Amino acid sequence: MPSRDGAVRLGLAKTVLFVALVLGAVLLPPRYAPAFDYELKPVAVAERTWVVEGRREELSEDNGGDIANAAFIATGDGVVVIDTGSTLNYGRALRAAIATVTDQPVRWIINTHHHPDHVFGNQAFEGAEISALPATRAALKRDADSFRATLYQRLGDAVRGTETVLPTRSVQQGEGRFGDYPLQLFAFSGHSGADLVVLDPATGVLFTGDLVFHRRAPTTPHSPGIGIWREQLRQLRALQFETLVPGHGPVSPNDSPIRETLDYLDWLDRRLAEGATRGATRNEVIQAPLPERFAGMALVRYELTRSVSHFYADYEEALLWADPDTTK
Amino acid sequence: MAGYLKPLLAVLMVFCASSGMAGEAQKDPLDSFMWERYHERFLGDAPVRFDQRVRIQAPAFAEDSGQVPIDVDASDFNGRFQRMLLWVELNPIPLVFDYRPLSDGLANLSINVRLEQSSAVRVAVLSDGVWHVGSTRIEGEGGGCTTPGIAKTEDNWSKDFGKIMARRFDHEPGSRVRVKLSHPMDSGLIPSTRPFYVEQVAFIRDGEPAATMAWQASVSENPELALTLKGKAGASYRFQARDNNGNEFDHAIP
Repeated sequence: MPSRDGAVRLGLAKTVLFVALVLGAVLLPPRYAPAFDYELKPVAVAERTWVVEGRREELSEDNGGDIANAAFIATGDGVVVIDTGSTLNYGRALRAAIATVTDQPVRWIINTHHHPDHVFGNQAFEGAEISALPATRAALKRDADSFRATLYQRLGDAVRGTETVLPTRSVQQGEGRFGDYPLQLFAFSGHSGADLVVLDPATGVLFTGDLVFHRRAPTTPHSPGIGIWREQLRQLRALQFETLVPGHGPVSPNDSPIRETLDYLDWLDRRLAEGATRGATRNEVIQAPLPERFAGMALVRYELTRSVSHFYADYEEALLWADPDTTK
Repeated sequence: MAGYLKPLLAVLMVFCASSGMAGEAQKDPLDSFMWERYHERFLGDAPVRFDQRVRIQAPAFAEDSGQVPIDVDASDFNGRFQRMLLWVELNPIPLVFDYRPLSDGLANLSINVRLEQSSAVRVAVLSDGVWHVGSTRIEGEGGGCTTPGIAKTEDNWSKDFGKIMARRFDHEPGSRVRVKLSHPMDSGLIPSTRPFYVEQVAFIRDGEPAATMAWQASVSENPELALTLKGKAGASYRFQARDNNGNEFDHAIP
Protein backbone atom coordinates (compact mmCIF):
# COMPACT_ATOMS: atom_id res chain seq x y z
CA MET A 1 0.00 0.00 0.00
CA PRO A 2 2.39 2.62 -1.25
CA SER A 3 -0.12 5.43 -1.05
CA ARG A 4 -0.59 4.91 2.66
CA ASP A 5 3.18 4.94 3.23
CA GLY A 6 3.28 8.14 1.25
CA ALA A 7 0.64 9.64 3.50
CA VAL A 8 2.58 8.66 6.61
CA ARG A 9 5.80 10.13 5.21
CA LEU A 10 3.96 13.30 4.29
CA GLY A 11 2.54 13.50 7.79
CA LEU A 12 6.02 13.07 9.24
CA ALA A 13 7.42 15.73 6.94
CA LYS A 14 4.66 18.08 8.04
CA THR A 15 5.49 17.46 11.69
CA VAL A 16 9.17 18.08 11.12
CA LEU A 17 8.39 21.27 9.20
CA PHE A 18 6.06 22.42 11.94
CA VAL A 19 8.64 21.80 14.67
CA ALA A 20 11.29 23.57 12.59
CA LEU A 21 9.01 26.57 12.10
CA VAL A 22 8.14 26.77 15.78
CA LEU A 23 11.82 26.47 16.78
CA GLY A 24 12.74 29.08 14.20
CA ALA A 25 10.11 31.47 15.47
CA VAL A 26 11.21 30.97 19.07
CA LEU A 27 14.97 30.95 18.59
CA LEU A 28 15.55 33.52 15.87
CA PRO A 29 15.15 37.08 17.10
CA PRO A 30 13.06 39.18 14.70
CA ARG A 31 16.08 41.29 13.67
CA TYR A 32 17.27 38.42 11.48
CA ALA A 33 14.17 38.73 9.33
CA PRO A 34 15.30 40.35 6.08
CA ALA A 35 14.16 43.90 5.43
CA PHE A 36 11.60 44.25 2.65
CA ASP A 37 13.38 43.88 -0.70
CA TYR A 38 12.27 46.74 -2.96
CA GLU A 39 14.44 45.86 -5.97
CA LEU A 40 14.61 49.49 -7.10
CA LYS A 41 15.97 50.16 -10.58
CA PRO A 42 16.85 53.73 -11.54
CA VAL A 43 16.02 54.49 -15.18
CA ALA A 44 17.90 57.31 -16.90
CA VAL A 45 15.41 59.80 -18.35
CA ALA A 46 17.75 62.67 -19.26
CA GLU A 47 21.34 63.71 -18.77
CA ARG A 48 22.33 63.12 -15.06
CA THR A 49 18.66 62.39 -14.24
CA TRP A 50 17.06 59.11 -13.16
CA VAL A 51 13.59 58.00 -12.13
CA VAL A 52 12.58 55.07 -9.92
CA GLU A 53 9.00 54.29 -10.86
CA GLY A 54 6.63 53.03 -8.16
CA ARG A 55 3.98 50.43 -8.75
CA ARG A 56 0.55 51.63 -9.76
CA GLU A 57 -1.04 50.11 -6.69
CA GLU A 58 -2.36 51.09 -3.30
CA LEU A 59 -0.24 50.64 -0.16
CA SER A 60 0.00 46.92 0.67
CA GLU A 61 2.20 44.37 2.37
CA ASP A 62 3.06 42.97 -1.06
CA ASN A 63 4.52 46.22 -2.39
CA GLY A 64 5.95 47.50 0.91
CA GLY A 65 4.67 50.97 0.04
CA ASP A 66 6.62 51.18 -3.24
CA ILE A 67 3.77 53.01 -5.00
CA ALA A 68 5.13 56.50 -5.77
CA ASN A 69 7.86 57.74 -8.08
CA ALA A 70 11.21 58.96 -6.79
CA ALA A 71 13.71 60.81 -8.96
CA PHE A 72 17.21 62.18 -8.63
CA ILE A 73 19.64 64.54 -10.32
CA ALA A 74 23.41 64.09 -10.02
CA THR A 75 24.37 67.76 -10.16
CA GLY A 76 28.13 67.19 -10.16
CA ASP A 77 28.38 68.62 -6.67
CA GLY A 78 26.04 66.08 -5.06
CA VAL A 79 22.69 64.42 -5.69
CA VAL A 80 19.25 66.04 -5.38
CA VAL A 81 16.57 63.45 -4.55
CA ILE A 82 12.96 64.32 -5.35
CA ASP A 83 10.64 62.36 -3.01
CA THR A 84 11.78 59.50 -0.83
CA GLY A 85 9.00 56.88 -0.65
CA SER A 86 6.91 55.36 2.14
CA THR A 87 9.40 53.81 4.55
CA LEU A 88 12.88 53.95 6.02
CA ASN A 89 13.67 50.71 4.19
CA TYR A 90 12.54 52.21 0.89
CA GLY A 91 14.73 55.25 1.55
CA ARG A 92 17.72 52.97 2.19
CA ALA A 93 17.00 50.97 -0.96
CA LEU A 94 16.74 54.23 -2.91
CA ARG A 95 20.08 55.41 -1.51
CA ALA A 96 21.66 52.11 -2.52
CA ALA A 97 20.11 52.32 -5.99
CA ILE A 98 21.47 55.84 -6.43
CA ALA A 99 24.95 54.57 -5.50
CA THR A 100 24.78 52.10 -8.41
CA VAL A 101 24.74 54.95 -10.95
CA THR A 102 26.72 57.78 -9.32
CA ASP A 103 29.47 58.21 -6.72
CA GLN A 104 28.16 61.63 -5.69
CA PRO A 105 26.68 61.84 -2.18
CA VAL A 106 23.03 62.71 -1.65
CA ARG A 107 23.21 66.28 -0.34
CA TRP A 108 19.68 67.54 -0.97
CA ILE A 109 16.15 66.18 -0.76
CA ILE A 110 13.01 67.81 -2.09
CA ASN A 111 9.63 66.73 -0.71
CA THR A 112 7.08 67.69 -3.38
CA HIS A 113 4.25 67.38 -0.85
CA HIS A 114 3.47 65.86 2.55
CA HIS A 115 1.75 62.58 1.64
CA PRO A 116 3.18 59.46 3.30
CA ASP A 117 4.20 57.68 0.08
CA HIS A 118 6.58 60.58 -0.72
CA VAL A 119 8.28 61.58 2.54
CA PHE A 120 8.92 58.68 4.90
CA GLY A 121 12.19 57.69 3.25
CA ASN A 122 13.66 61.07 4.40
CA GLN A 123 15.10 59.30 7.43
CA ALA A 124 17.50 57.25 5.29
CA PHE A 125 19.40 60.34 4.10
CA GLU A 126 21.07 61.56 7.26
CA GLY A 127 22.79 64.91 6.84
CA ALA A 128 20.96 65.85 3.65
CA GLU A 129 19.10 69.15 3.56
CA ILE A 130 15.35 68.60 3.06
CA SER A 131 13.53 71.28 1.09
CA ALA A 132 9.78 71.78 0.96
CA LEU A 133 7.11 74.45 0.89
CA PRO A 134 6.42 75.80 4.40
CA ALA A 135 2.83 74.51 4.23
CA THR A 136 4.14 71.03 3.38
CA ARG A 137 6.21 70.99 6.54
CA ALA A 138 3.27 72.18 8.63
CA ALA A 139 0.94 69.58 7.11
CA LEU A 140 3.41 66.75 7.64
CA LYS A 141 3.89 67.80 11.25
CA ARG A 142 0.12 67.77 11.70
CA ASP A 143 -0.58 64.43 9.97
CA ALA A 144 2.62 62.42 10.53
CA ASP A 145 1.40 60.31 13.45
CA SER A 146 -1.81 59.32 11.73
CA PHE A 147 0.10 58.63 8.48
CA ARG A 148 2.52 56.36 10.32
CA ALA A 149 -0.36 54.53 11.98
CA THR A 150 -1.87 53.94 8.54
CA LEU A 151 1.47 52.76 7.16
CA TYR A 152 1.92 50.26 9.99
CA GLN A 153 -1.60 49.01 9.40
CA ARG A 154 -1.19 48.63 5.66
CA LEU A 155 2.47 47.66 5.14
CA GLY A 156 3.22 45.56 8.18
CA ASP A 157 6.87 44.69 8.58
CA ALA A 158 8.19 46.80 5.68
CA VAL A 159 7.60 50.01 7.64
CA ARG A 160 9.60 48.87 10.69
CA GLY A 161 11.84 51.58 12.18
CA THR A 162 10.32 54.39 10.12
CA GLU A 163 10.28 57.76 11.88
CA THR A 164 9.08 61.17 10.78
CA VAL A 165 11.83 63.48 9.52
CA LEU A 166 10.49 66.95 8.76
CA PRO A 167 11.84 69.24 6.03
CA THR A 168 14.72 71.47 7.19
CA ARG A 169 14.63 74.21 4.55
CA SER A 170 11.66 76.28 3.38
CA VAL A 171 11.53 77.06 -0.32
CA GLN A 172 9.24 79.35 -2.30
CA GLN A 173 8.22 79.75 -5.89
CA GLY A 174 11.19 80.93 -7.97
CA GLU A 175 14.73 79.76 -8.49
CA GLY A 176 16.08 77.38 -5.89
CA ARG A 177 19.82 76.66 -5.64
CA PHE A 178 21.16 73.27 -4.67
CA GLY A 179 24.83 74.01 -4.29
CA ASP A 180 25.47 75.82 -7.56
CA TYR A 181 22.77 73.91 -9.39
CA PRO A 182 19.66 76.00 -10.17
CA LEU A 183 16.17 74.47 -10.27
CA GLN A 184 12.98 76.33 -11.11
CA LEU A 185 10.37 75.86 -8.34
CA PHE A 186 6.62 76.34 -8.68
CA ALA A 187 4.24 76.46 -5.72
CA PHE A 188 0.80 74.93 -6.37
CA SER A 189 -1.88 73.51 -4.08
CA GLY A 190 -4.38 71.51 -6.15
CA HIS A 191 -3.50 67.98 -5.04
CA SER A 192 -2.54 68.25 -1.37
CA GLY A 193 -2.81 71.89 -0.32
CA ALA A 194 0.92 72.50 -0.95
CA ASP A 195 2.44 70.99 -4.08
CA LEU A 196 5.92 71.80 -5.28
CA VAL A 197 6.68 71.37 -8.97
CA VAL A 198 10.35 71.31 -10.02
CA LEU A 199 11.70 72.18 -13.46
CA ASP A 200 15.33 71.53 -14.31
CA PRO A 201 16.09 74.23 -16.90
CA ALA A 202 19.31 72.48 -17.94
CA THR A 203 17.68 69.22 -18.96
CA GLY A 204 14.06 70.28 -19.46
CA VAL A 205 12.79 67.65 -17.01
CA LEU A 206 9.59 68.63 -15.20
CA PHE A 207 8.97 66.87 -11.87
CA THR A 208 5.28 67.41 -11.16
CA GLY A 209 4.82 65.51 -7.90
CA ASP A 210 1.23 64.37 -7.45
CA LEU A 211 -0.22 67.33 -9.28
CA VAL A 212 0.00 64.90 -12.21
CA PHE A 213 -0.87 61.19 -12.25
CA HIS A 214 -0.27 58.92 -15.23
CA ARG A 215 -2.24 55.73 -15.93
CA ARG A 216 -3.19 55.72 -12.26
CA ALA A 217 -6.24 57.48 -10.84
CA PRO A 218 -5.53 60.71 -8.92
CA THR A 219 -6.01 60.74 -5.15
CA THR A 220 -7.87 63.63 -3.53
CA PRO A 221 -7.80 63.54 0.30
CA HIS A 222 -6.31 66.99 0.95
CA SER A 223 -7.21 68.68 -2.30
CA PRO A 224 -8.68 72.16 -1.80
CA GLY A 225 -11.05 71.37 -4.67
CA ILE A 226 -11.23 69.81 -8.10
CA GLY A 227 -11.70 73.23 -9.71
CA ILE A 228 -8.47 74.64 -8.22
CA TRP A 229 -6.55 71.54 -9.24
CA ARG A 230 -7.83 71.74 -12.82
CA GLU A 231 -6.93 75.42 -13.07
CA GLN A 232 -3.37 74.70 -11.92
CA LEU A 233 -3.00 71.85 -14.43
CA ARG A 234 -3.86 74.33 -17.17
CA GLN A 235 -1.08 76.59 -15.87
CA LEU A 236 1.27 73.62 -15.83
CA ARG A 237 0.53 72.84 -19.48
CA ALA A 238 1.86 76.27 -20.41
CA LEU A 239 5.37 75.41 -19.16
CA GLN A 240 8.09 74.44 -21.62
CA PHE A 241 9.60 71.05 -20.86
CA GLU A 242 11.15 68.04 -22.59
CA THR A 243 10.29 65.25 -20.18
CA LEU A 244 7.53 64.93 -17.60
CA VAL A 245 8.02 62.89 -14.41
CA PRO A 246 4.61 62.40 -12.74
CA GLY A 247 4.13 61.58 -9.06
CA HIS A 248 2.74 58.17 -10.03
CA GLY A 249 2.99 56.27 -13.30
CA PRO A 250 5.36 56.27 -16.26
CA VAL A 251 7.54 59.13 -17.44
CA SER A 252 6.34 60.92 -20.56
CA PRO A 253 8.02 62.92 -23.36
CA ASN A 254 5.00 65.25 -23.61
CA ASP A 255 2.07 66.68 -21.68
CA SER A 256 -0.23 63.68 -22.11
CA PRO A 257 -0.16 62.87 -18.35
CA ILE A 258 -1.38 66.42 -17.65
CA ARG A 259 -4.19 66.01 -20.16
CA GLU A 260 -5.05 62.64 -18.71
CA THR A 261 -5.20 64.02 -15.15
CA LEU A 262 -7.34 66.93 -16.39
CA ASP A 263 -9.64 64.54 -18.21
CA TYR A 264 -10.08 62.41 -15.10
CA LEU A 265 -10.76 65.42 -12.87
CA ASP A 266 -13.26 66.83 -15.39
CA TRP A 267 -15.04 63.50 -15.40
CA LEU A 268 -14.96 63.24 -11.58
CA ASP A 269 -16.37 66.75 -11.29
CA ARG A 270 -19.21 65.96 -13.71
CA ARG A 271 -19.95 62.61 -12.07
CA LEU A 272 -20.27 64.17 -8.61
CA ALA A 273 -22.24 67.17 -9.88
CA GLU A 274 -24.64 65.04 -11.89
CA GLY A 275 -25.20 62.67 -8.94
CA ALA A 276 -25.82 65.45 -6.45
CA THR A 277 -28.24 67.18 -8.81
CA ARG A 278 -30.49 64.14 -9.14
CA GLY A 279 -30.27 63.15 -5.47
CA ALA A 280 -28.17 60.02 -6.05
CA THR A 281 -26.76 58.27 -2.99
CA ARG A 282 -23.01 58.02 -2.48
CA ASN A 283 -23.06 54.31 -3.27
CA GLU A 284 -24.92 54.93 -6.51
CA VAL A 285 -22.28 57.45 -7.56
CA ILE A 286 -19.50 54.99 -6.66
CA GLN A 287 -21.05 51.95 -8.34
CA ALA A 288 -22.24 53.46 -11.64
CA PRO A 289 -20.28 52.17 -14.68
CA LEU A 290 -16.87 53.69 -15.42
CA PRO A 291 -15.99 55.20 -18.81
CA GLU A 292 -14.16 52.80 -21.11
CA ARG A 293 -11.37 55.28 -21.71
CA PHE A 294 -10.24 54.73 -18.11
CA ALA A 295 -9.76 51.00 -18.65
CA GLY A 296 -5.96 51.43 -18.74
CA MET A 297 -5.92 53.57 -15.61
CA ALA A 298 -5.19 51.79 -12.33
CA LEU A 299 -7.40 52.15 -9.22
CA VAL A 300 -10.22 54.22 -10.72
CA ARG A 301 -13.05 52.66 -8.67
CA TYR A 302 -10.89 52.73 -5.56
CA GLU A 303 -10.05 56.42 -5.88
CA LEU A 304 -13.60 57.27 -6.92
CA THR A 305 -14.79 55.66 -3.67
CA ARG A 306 -12.38 57.85 -1.72
CA SER A 307 -13.16 61.02 -3.66
CA VAL A 308 -16.89 60.59 -3.05
CA SER A 309 -16.06 60.57 0.65
CA HIS A 310 -13.88 63.69 0.27
CA PHE A 311 -16.11 65.80 -1.96
CA TYR A 312 -19.67 64.59 -2.37
CA ALA A 313 -21.05 66.48 0.64
CA ASP A 314 -19.72 69.73 -0.91
CA TYR A 315 -21.42 68.98 -4.21
CA GLU A 316 -24.65 68.18 -2.39
CA GLU A 317 -24.33 71.41 -0.44
CA ALA A 318 -24.11 73.36 -3.67
CA LEU A 319 -26.44 71.41 -5.95
CA LEU A 320 -28.86 69.42 -3.80
CA TRP A 321 -29.47 71.49 -0.69
CA ALA A 322 -28.79 75.01 -1.95
CA ASP A 323 -32.12 75.09 -3.78
CA PRO A 324 -33.99 77.94 -2.03
CA ASP A 325 -37.12 75.80 -1.69
CA THR A 326 -35.38 73.19 0.43
CA THR A 327 -34.91 75.16 3.62
CA LYS A 328 -37.57 76.73 5.76
CA MET B 1 -48.46 25.09 -22.55
CA ALA B 2 -48.77 22.14 -20.22
CA GLY B 3 -51.32 23.30 -17.68
CA TYR B 4 -50.38 20.63 -15.15
CA LEU B 5 -46.90 22.11 -14.75
CA LYS B 6 -48.12 25.14 -12.88
CA PRO B 7 -49.56 23.42 -9.81
CA LEU B 8 -46.56 21.12 -9.74
CA LEU B 9 -44.28 24.12 -9.75
CA ALA B 10 -46.29 25.78 -6.99
CA VAL B 11 -46.00 22.67 -4.83
CA LEU B 12 -42.28 22.56 -5.48
CA MET B 13 -41.83 26.21 -4.57
CA VAL B 14 -43.78 25.84 -1.33
CA PHE B 15 -41.71 22.79 -0.51
CA CYS B 16 -38.42 24.56 -1.17
CA ALA B 17 -39.47 27.64 0.77
CA SER B 18 -40.63 25.70 3.81
CA SER B 19 -37.58 23.47 3.89
CA GLY B 20 -35.41 26.56 3.80
CA MET B 21 -37.25 28.09 6.69
CA ALA B 22 -38.03 25.21 8.97
CA GLY B 23 -34.72 23.39 8.63
CA GLU B 24 -31.73 23.77 10.87
CA ALA B 25 -30.17 27.17 11.35
CA GLN B 26 -28.52 28.34 8.15
CA LYS B 27 -24.82 28.98 8.16
CA ASP B 28 -23.75 32.61 8.40
CA PRO B 29 -22.30 33.47 4.97
CA LEU B 30 -19.75 35.76 6.65
CA ASP B 31 -18.90 33.18 9.31
CA SER B 32 -18.77 35.88 11.97
CA PHE B 33 -18.47 34.94 15.62
CA MET B 34 -20.82 37.78 16.56
CA TRP B 35 -23.71 36.58 14.41
CA GLU B 36 -25.32 34.34 17.00
CA ARG B 37 -25.18 36.98 19.68
CA TYR B 38 -27.06 39.63 17.70
CA HIS B 39 -29.32 37.07 16.11
CA GLU B 40 -30.63 36.29 19.59
CA ARG B 41 -30.60 39.86 20.80
CA PHE B 42 -32.32 41.57 17.86
CA LEU B 43 -34.30 38.85 16.11
CA GLY B 44 -35.40 36.69 19.03
CA ASP B 45 -37.01 33.34 18.31
CA ALA B 46 -38.52 34.10 14.90
CA PRO B 47 -37.17 31.99 12.04
CA VAL B 48 -34.26 33.46 10.10
CA ARG B 49 -32.97 32.93 6.60
CA PHE B 50 -30.05 34.50 4.83
CA ASP B 51 -31.60 35.96 1.73
CA GLN B 52 -29.95 37.49 -1.34
CA ARG B 53 -33.05 39.60 -1.92
CA VAL B 54 -31.85 41.78 0.98
CA ARG B 55 -29.07 43.64 -0.78
CA ILE B 56 -26.62 45.92 1.01
CA GLN B 57 -24.42 48.24 -0.99
CA ALA B 58 -21.51 49.87 0.79
CA PRO B 59 -17.93 50.81 -0.04
CA ALA B 60 -15.51 47.93 0.63
CA PHE B 61 -13.58 50.20 2.99
CA ALA B 62 -14.37 53.25 5.10
CA GLU B 63 -12.46 56.29 3.86
CA ASP B 64 -14.14 58.36 6.58
CA SER B 65 -15.20 56.10 9.42
CA GLY B 66 -17.57 58.77 10.73
CA GLN B 67 -19.60 58.84 7.51
CA VAL B 68 -19.95 55.45 5.88
CA PRO B 69 -22.81 55.29 3.37
CA ILE B 70 -24.93 52.14 3.42
CA ASP B 71 -27.66 51.51 0.85
CA VAL B 72 -30.28 48.84 1.37
CA ASP B 73 -32.42 47.46 -1.42
CA ALA B 74 -34.93 44.80 -0.39
CA SER B 75 -37.63 46.01 -2.74
CA ASP B 76 -38.79 42.43 -3.39
CA PHE B 77 -40.43 42.81 0.04
CA ASN B 78 -42.19 46.08 -0.75
CA GLY B 79 -45.70 46.03 0.69
CA ARG B 80 -45.10 42.86 2.68
CA PHE B 81 -42.61 43.62 5.40
CA GLN B 82 -43.26 44.93 8.87
CA ARG B 83 -39.80 45.89 10.18
CA MET B 84 -36.24 46.37 9.02
CA LEU B 85 -33.17 46.45 11.28
CA LEU B 86 -29.61 47.49 10.40
CA TRP B 87 -26.70 46.72 12.67
CA VAL B 88 -22.90 46.89 12.56
CA GLU B 89 -21.60 43.93 14.54
CA LEU B 90 -18.42 45.40 15.98
CA ASN B 91 -19.68 48.90 16.76
CA PRO B 92 -19.93 49.76 20.47
CA ILE B 93 -23.57 50.56 19.72
CA PRO B 94 -24.31 47.91 17.09
CA LEU B 95 -27.91 48.73 16.20
CA VAL B 96 -28.29 51.62 13.75
CA PHE B 97 -32.03 51.73 13.15
CA ASP B 98 -35.33 49.93 13.61
CA TYR B 99 -37.53 50.89 10.66
CA ARG B 100 -41.30 50.40 10.55
CA PRO B 101 -42.63 51.04 7.08
CA LEU B 102 -46.29 51.40 8.16
CA SER B 103 -48.47 52.56 5.24
CA ASP B 104 -45.96 54.23 2.90
CA GLY B 105 -42.43 53.02 3.61
CA LEU B 106 -40.61 50.91 1.01
CA ALA B 107 -37.60 48.66 1.41
CA ASN B 108 -35.15 50.97 -0.30
CA LEU B 109 -33.02 53.42 1.64
CA SER B 110 -29.59 54.89 2.26
CA ILE B 111 -28.10 56.15 5.51
CA ASN B 112 -24.66 57.26 6.73
CA VAL B 113 -23.32 55.35 9.73
CA ARG B 114 -20.29 55.30 11.99
CA LEU B 115 -17.89 52.38 11.72
CA GLU B 116 -15.67 51.76 14.73
CA GLN B 117 -13.58 49.08 13.01
CA SER B 118 -13.75 46.49 10.23
CA SER B 119 -17.07 44.74 10.72
CA ALA B 120 -19.91 42.69 9.34
CA VAL B 121 -22.99 44.74 8.56
CA ARG B 122 -26.46 43.14 8.64
CA VAL B 123 -29.89 44.10 7.48
CA ALA B 124 -32.83 42.02 8.67
CA VAL B 125 -36.27 42.37 7.07
CA LEU B 126 -39.27 40.92 8.90
CA SER B 127 -41.82 39.58 6.44
CA ASP B 128 -44.75 37.43 7.58
CA GLY B 129 -42.99 36.23 10.70
CA VAL B 130 -39.65 35.41 9.06
CA TRP B 131 -36.48 37.49 9.28
CA HIS B 132 -34.71 37.76 5.91
CA VAL B 133 -31.08 38.74 6.45
CA GLY B 134 -28.60 40.35 4.09
CA SER B 135 -24.92 40.81 4.98
CA THR B 136 -21.81 42.60 3.88
CA ARG B 137 -18.45 43.49 5.32
CA ILE B 138 -16.68 46.87 5.45
CA GLU B 139 -13.00 47.36 6.19
CA GLY B 140 -12.36 50.01 8.82
CA GLU B 141 -9.07 51.38 7.64
CA GLY B 142 -9.04 54.14 5.10
CA GLY B 143 -6.73 54.74 2.17
CA GLY B 144 -3.06 55.62 2.26
CA CYS B 145 -3.63 59.33 2.60
CA THR B 146 -6.56 59.14 4.98
CA THR B 147 -6.71 62.45 6.68
CA PRO B 148 -7.05 62.65 10.43
CA GLY B 149 -9.22 65.73 10.17
CA ILE B 150 -12.04 64.25 8.17
CA ALA B 151 -13.57 61.95 10.75
CA LYS B 152 -13.33 64.44 13.57
CA THR B 153 -16.53 65.66 15.12
CA GLU B 154 -17.36 69.26 14.42
CA ASP B 155 -17.07 71.41 17.50
CA ASN B 156 -19.35 74.19 16.34
CA TRP B 157 -22.45 72.07 15.88
CA SER B 158 -24.65 74.49 17.77
CA LYS B 159 -24.49 76.99 14.90
CA ASP B 160 -26.65 74.91 12.58
CA PHE B 161 -28.29 72.75 15.23
CA GLY B 162 -31.67 71.48 14.14
CA LYS B 163 -31.38 72.72 10.56
CA ILE B 164 -33.20 70.38 8.22
CA MET B 165 -32.81 70.11 4.48
CA ALA B 166 -35.16 67.95 2.46
CA ARG B 167 -35.85 67.13 -1.17
CA ARG B 168 -38.12 64.77 -3.03
CA PHE B 169 -37.30 62.97 -6.28
CA ASP B 170 -39.41 60.71 -8.47
CA HIS B 171 -38.23 57.19 -7.82
CA GLU B 172 -40.15 54.12 -8.93
CA PRO B 173 -42.55 53.03 -7.59
CA GLY B 174 -42.98 56.28 -5.59
CA SER B 175 -40.68 59.01 -4.34
CA ARG B 176 -37.23 59.16 -2.89
CA VAL B 177 -37.02 61.66 -0.04
CA ARG B 178 -33.60 62.97 0.89
CA VAL B 179 -33.25 64.48 4.35
CA LYS B 180 -30.26 65.96 6.14
CA LEU B 181 -30.55 67.07 9.77
CA SER B 182 -27.86 69.01 11.62
CA HIS B 183 -27.38 67.19 14.90
CA PRO B 184 -24.21 66.03 16.72
CA MET B 185 -25.55 62.50 17.37
CA ASP B 186 -23.27 62.14 20.40
CA SER B 187 -23.10 58.57 21.59
CA GLY B 188 -21.96 59.47 25.10
CA LEU B 189 -19.04 57.08 24.64
CA ILE B 190 -16.46 59.87 24.38
CA PRO B 191 -15.39 60.92 27.91
CA SER B 192 -17.11 64.04 29.24
CA THR B 193 -19.91 63.90 26.68
CA ARG B 194 -23.46 62.75 27.34
CA PRO B 195 -25.61 60.80 24.93
CA PHE B 196 -27.34 63.35 22.72
CA TYR B 197 -28.87 61.89 19.59
CA VAL B 198 -32.00 61.71 17.50
CA GLU B 199 -33.95 58.65 18.57
CA GLN B 200 -37.22 58.93 16.65
CA VAL B 201 -37.83 59.86 13.03
CA ALA B 202 -41.18 59.90 11.25
CA PHE B 203 -42.56 60.72 7.84
CA ILE B 204 -46.05 62.17 8.26
CA ARG B 205 -48.73 62.17 5.59
CA ASP B 206 -52.16 63.70 6.17
CA GLY B 207 -51.30 64.12 9.84
CA GLU B 208 -50.57 60.43 10.35
CA PRO B 209 -47.22 58.63 10.58
CA ALA B 210 -46.67 56.95 7.21
CA ALA B 211 -43.25 55.44 8.09
CA THR B 212 -41.11 55.64 11.24
CA MET B 213 -37.57 54.85 12.31
CA ALA B 214 -35.96 54.53 15.72
CA TRP B 215 -32.31 55.59 15.53
CA GLN B 216 -29.30 54.85 17.68
CA ALA B 217 -26.14 56.95 18.00
CA SER B 218 -24.40 54.78 15.40
CA VAL B 219 -26.12 56.97 12.83
CA SER B 220 -23.53 59.54 11.69
CA GLU B 221 -23.25 63.09 12.91
CA ASN B 222 -25.53 65.36 10.86
CA PRO B 223 -27.56 62.35 9.74
CA GLU B 224 -28.39 61.83 6.10
CA LEU B 225 -31.21 59.59 5.00
CA ALA B 226 -32.64 58.68 1.61
CA LEU B 227 -35.89 56.74 1.87
CA THR B 228 -38.29 55.56 -0.80
CA LEU B 229 -41.96 56.20 0.02
CA LYS B 230 -45.07 55.10 -1.86
CA GLY B 231 -46.47 58.55 -2.52
CA LYS B 232 -45.64 60.06 -5.89
CA ALA B 233 -45.30 63.74 -6.75
CA GLY B 234 -48.18 65.55 -5.08
CA ALA B 235 -48.17 63.42 -1.95
CA SER B 236 -47.18 65.83 0.79
CA TYR B 237 -44.92 64.47 3.50
CA ARG B 238 -43.51 66.10 6.61
CA PHE B 239 -40.32 64.99 8.26
CA GLN B 240 -40.44 64.93 12.06
CA ALA B 241 -37.79 63.89 14.55
CA ARG B 242 -37.16 63.96 18.28
CA ASP B 243 -33.89 63.60 20.19
CA ASN B 244 -33.28 62.08 23.61
CA ASN B 245 -33.23 65.55 25.20
CA GLY B 246 -36.75 66.26 24.01
CA ASN B 247 -35.85 68.58 21.12
CA GLU B 248 -38.36 68.24 18.31
CA PHE B 249 -37.74 68.87 14.63
CA ASP B 250 -40.33 69.32 11.92
CA HIS B 251 -40.00 70.18 8.25
CA ALA B 252 -42.18 69.94 5.16
CA ILE B 253 -40.70 67.94 2.27
CA PRO B 254 -41.08 70.09 -0.85
